This record gives sequence, C-alpha cells and structure tokens, in this order.
Amino acid sequence: MTTPATIPVQQHAAVKPFYFNTSAHLLRVTPQKATTLVEFLDALRACPEGSIFQHTFRTLQEHHFLREGFSNDFAEWALSACNEPSLAEVLASVDVREFTSVADLREKFVQIVGEFVNRSQGAASRQARETFYFCASDIVVIPTQYVARTLREFAEGLRHVSVHSIQHHFIEARLRIKLMSNDFSQWLLEDLGLAEAARQLNRIDIYTLTLEDVKNQIIRIVERALV
Amino acid sequence: MEPVESQTSSETVAAELPSSSTGAFTVTTPAPAPPGRVERRKRPRTWETPPAPVPPPRLDDYKKIVGEADIDELRFLSRELKGKTLKMVNSTAVGGGVAEMLHQLVPLLNEVEVLTHWDVITGGNDFFEITKAFHNALQGSDYRLTQQARDIFLMNNEQNRQRLQFNEEFIVIHDPQPSPLIRARTNSPQHWIWRCHIDLSNPNPEVWGFLRPFIEKYDASIFSSQSFSRQLPIPQYLFYPCIDPLSEKNKELDDAYVQQVCDELGIDRSRPIVTQVSRFDRAKDPVGVILAFKEARKYVDFQLVMAGGGATDDPEGAAVLREVREAAGDDPDIIILDLPPWCALQINALQRASTIIVQKSVKEGFGLTVTEALWKGKPTIAGAVGGIPNQVIHKLTGVLVHSVEGCAYQMRYLLTHPEFAKQLGENGRAHVKENFLMTTNVRRWLLLLRILNGRK
Repeated sequence: MTTPATIPVQQHAAVKPFYFNTSAHLLRVTPQKATTLVEFLDALRACPEGSIFQHTFRTLQEHHFLREGFSNDFAEWALSACNEPSLAEVLASVDVREFTSVADLREKFVQIVGEFVNRSQGAASRQARETFYFCASDIVVIPTQYVARTLREFAEGLRHVSVHSIQHHFIEARLRIKLMSNDFSQWLLEDLGLAEAARQLNRIDIYTLTLEDVKNQIIRIVERALV
Repeated sequence: MEPVESQTSSETVAAELPSSSTGAFTVTTPAPAPPGRVERRKRPRTWETPPAPVPPPRLDDYKKIVGEADIDELRFLSRELKGKTLKMVNSTAVGGGVAEMLHQLVPLLNEVEVLTHWDVITGGNDFFEITKAFHNALQGSDYRLTQQARDIFLMNNEQNRQRLQFNEEFIVIHDPQPSPLIRARTNSPQHWIWRCHIDLSNPNPEVWGFLRPFIEKYDASIFSSQSFSRQLPIPQYLFYPCIDPLSEKNKELDDAYVQQVCDELGIDRSRPIVTQVSRFDRAKDPVGVILAFKEARKYVDFQLVMAGGGATDDPEGAAVLREVREAAGDDPDIIILDLPPWCALQINALQRASTIIVQKSVKEGFGLTVTEALWKGKPTIAGAVGGIPNQVIHKLTGVLVHSVEGCAYQMRYLLTHPEFAKQLGENGRAHVKENFLMTTNVRRWLLLLRILNGRK
C-alpha cells in the first residue's frame, strides 16, 4: 500500500481495518491412546488432525507461561513417561511456525517417531509410565471490541486484548492464511505498507518467551514503528 | 517466642481441647522437646463454629485476578446464549466438591443471562446407600450388584423424574446417581449432558454395565481428566476441576493474619515449613510424608505440618490419624492438625505460610489441594497419580514423586535451592491461572453450550 509521505505513519488509515478476534477451545478426548511408542506411532497416524493441532499449537497456549522446557505434548510425554530424552529433544525441536498445514506437521512427527521405532524396537515396545491420551479441541472464534484503522489504534488494541487473542492472530493464524506469517504481520505489510515491522514480528521467538512476553514484544515493535 | 504452656502428650492435648457437637479440632504437638531445644507451643486456638457464608462473587470481581480482557471474552462468548435455559441436577445441595462448585457456577451463569436452575434429587437412606456403593464400585471397589439394588436405584430415579420438571433447553446431570433421569428426555430439541466427576478408568463392570445404557443416551459427557474417561459413543469433553480464587480457601490474605494463625497453631515461621493438607486417608499417604520428612531432616532443618480432617466422623480417618501420630512419635517438629471442615481461611493461611507443599497421594481424584498450593505460588511436591500430572508438569510447575525416597529427596532439594523452588511456584500459579480457575470453568461451560447449540 502506498501513502502520501507527508502523513505521519501513525495516522495512515489502513486499507482494511484490523478486527481483533480471539478463540476459545474446548478439549475433547478422542479414542486414540498409547502406552508404548509403537502404539503412539499408530495413534499419530490415525488420530484426527484436531489432535495434532491440540498437542502442538494449542498446548503452547495452555503452557504459555513457560519460557523453557516445554514445546509440545508429544515431546513432554517422550521425556516424562517414556524416559527417552533424545527422542524428546527431536520432537521438541519441531517448530510449529514452519508449518502451514496440520497434515504436514503430522507427517513430521510420524517421520521422527517412525525412525526412532525402527532404530530402537526394544525401547519402543516398553510400557510408558503414563498413557498418552490424544485429545482434540472444538474451537469458537469470538470477536473483541477492538478494531484498528491506524497504527496507533492497532497498538491500543494490542495493549487491551488477552493472550488468547495473541495466540489466535500470531501463532495459529498461519493455518488459516496458509502463509509463513501471521495476521498482525500481514496487516502491517498489506494494509499499512510497514514491511520492516512485519518482518520483525515474524522473528519473535515464541518458544523462549511467554505469551505475555510475546505480546509485549509485539507492542514494542509497533510502538517503534509509530515513532 | 512468647512464653507458652508446654504439653506432654498428644492424648493430653486432644483431651484438653473443648469438644462440641460441631466438632472442635484437635492439634497434636508432640512433646517433650529434645534436650537443647526447648519446644514450647502455645495452646492452639480452636475454631468451633463455621463462619457466616460469604455472598457469591460477580464476574467483575475476577477482573483484578485474570484481567479485564478475559472477563470481556466471557461476556462475548455468552452473547449467543442470552435467555437460554439450563438445569443442573445433582444429588446434594451441601457438602462435597460438586455442590461447592455449583454454588459458585450457577450465579455466574445467571449473571451472563444463561438462565440456570439447580435441582437436587431426593431419596431414602436405602437409595443413598446404594448410590454410595455405586460411587465406590465405579472407582474400582468390589461390589455385587443385586436386583434389589437395581430396583431401588431405578425407583428413586423414577420418583425424581416425576417430581422434577425438565423444560429447559440444556439439562446437565452430575455424576451417576441421577443418570437415569435421561428417561425424561422428550422429542423437544433439548441437549442433555452428563457431567462425571469421578474416576471411571477402572469401574466395576457390573455397575458400569448397568449404567452405561443410560449414559449413552446423552448428547455429550464431561470428565475431569483424560485418564478418568471411558470409551463412549458420545463426545467426551474435558473440564478440569477448578478453584475459586475469591473463596475463603484461596483469596489473598494479609500477612498479619497468616502470622496470627501460625501463632495460634504453634508454627514457627522463622524456620522452613513443609505442609500436606488433606484428610487423614491412606490414599494420601500421610505416613509416607512423615517418613520422607524424617529422612530429609537428616540434612535440612524444617518443620512438617500435617493438616487434615475427617477423623471425627470417619472411623477409618480416626485409625489413620492414630497411625500418623504413631509415625510422628515425639518429634516436636511434626505438627498434626485435625481441622473441622469450616477452617478454609485457616487452611489458606497455613498454605501461604508454607515453604513447600506436599501432596504425596498414592491414589487421587483430580487433587484440588494441589491446585490450591500452586495458586498460592508454592513449590509443590506431589504423587504422580490421578489428575495430579495434569497440574504438576515435572520440574516445570512442580515436582512429581513416586516413592518416599523421591519425596524426601525433593524436600531437601527444594529447601536448598530456593531460586528453582521460586520458579516452580511462579510457573505453577500461572498454570492454574490459565487452566484451573473458576473463570476458566465458566468459559468451558459457555463454550460447550454454544457448541451444542450450534448442532441443533
């Protein structure tokens, strides 16, 4: 988008307003469960996509207050219930931001666990300390009262919305928009022409920050763009 | 320390304390103290009568805890449900976690204009004896289901079906006792939900086989933990139990009050305090906690507080309390409190005064005492059973243990690594704030109602 150079960036009106939404999720138990890594691999293949989403994207929100040591439920189970730190490490390194489809994400986990099962058949058949129950979530998207037409209003909206809204727009968005990006960056880029701010948002590390930290970093980047 | 009376034996303490029909609590402060350390404890205060009930909070009261945005989200979520009618049915109006939760939840749902009504089933002693036996059998106890028990169970449910009206759009039946009320379902577009608060992972097959056909007629079921659920042909949702951060048990307290309670109970706040709060029940392994304390104290100086209840009206509880006293022996640093059920505020103060909280259960439901401890930001050591692993993520929001030895080690480790302990406490509180508070429970109910409403 192009804007007259004489108008300060904070007053640029966006092509389209940004509507802050949030999403609420209700957990469901699915029929799949696993007591060994072999069963886990079968269940990974058979479970609904909603389960892969729940145990990766969603669990980030449920544990958003942790800065380290938690990446996804699969890695946590491999470590705490199966006592397989090397497998857990590889599972934990899967970065959801690199996926724009749950099917691809599932394939990645199937590949990692499949390789481990082939390599370590004894360990893969050993009973885990706890059963892994595959869950999924039903999602309801809820509007909030915040709408931004300018960068200033955008910053104001960010300050007011909950971390659930940040999760919705910043982390889960890529599954909706099918891009290696997020709703905030897309709006800054496409509707305000702020490419650098959009790029900086995409470089925020969600795995070493709490979601509250992520929100604050987003606000800082947007505030810098306002100056 | 103030001059105080010394006490010579646990029996004496118990005998000296006033008793009443409402059940005064007793405190065991073992004595005499070992030479070189004069252990004198004030005669502990007793709380003989329940406090006046507190009015239920309103949604806005939670803003200062969870933030305005979260409360706004609840209001947005409820918009499509305004004017919808909902009936909750359970088996008791007072006592027990379900009634306690409903007392808090029903006013909050009404506040967002989901018109919620709460009914309680009635029945004779024979009915409730059978439902208690069912309750235990569904959680794994041996039980022989007779035709007479089936008849009494069904007859009482039929009487309740005829007595109660089921005209609401959503009907929620809590636990197995009233589950046959599903027979009141008509052809009108109603949504029937079965909320199971108990652990069904290993049910008595006869009792489960008897109840299952009723359960399968519901539109949805709700369990408290993944591990408590059964394979069913209806959707199974997960609603973790929750605590109310504004209740007497969990609200913020002035430190002066915490100090006062400790003074009254003879607890020395200048030394570390490790506490287990739970009724005197073998499933909570109180003797194991004492053994862990004795092992850990070889290396670290601290006090152990075992705060429980249920010993006055439960013969098994009284027997366990005797075992606990026996295990404690004459150790002056083990303080055993048998508290009446209305001491929520004092329990709150005890938890807040504690350096570490332990819940070394060997069998557990969800473990709300763990939730309470985490909410108070306390580093928590807990048995890896029941719903506890949902709350305690090992080394992130607390530590999980599987043995007396593991418990002893973690006591020593956390007492000597306060920075790590502090981080666990902070993470634990954040985990509860996100997942196990009353506001999250309201959110889950509104979500479920919206999801079912959308399926019409």
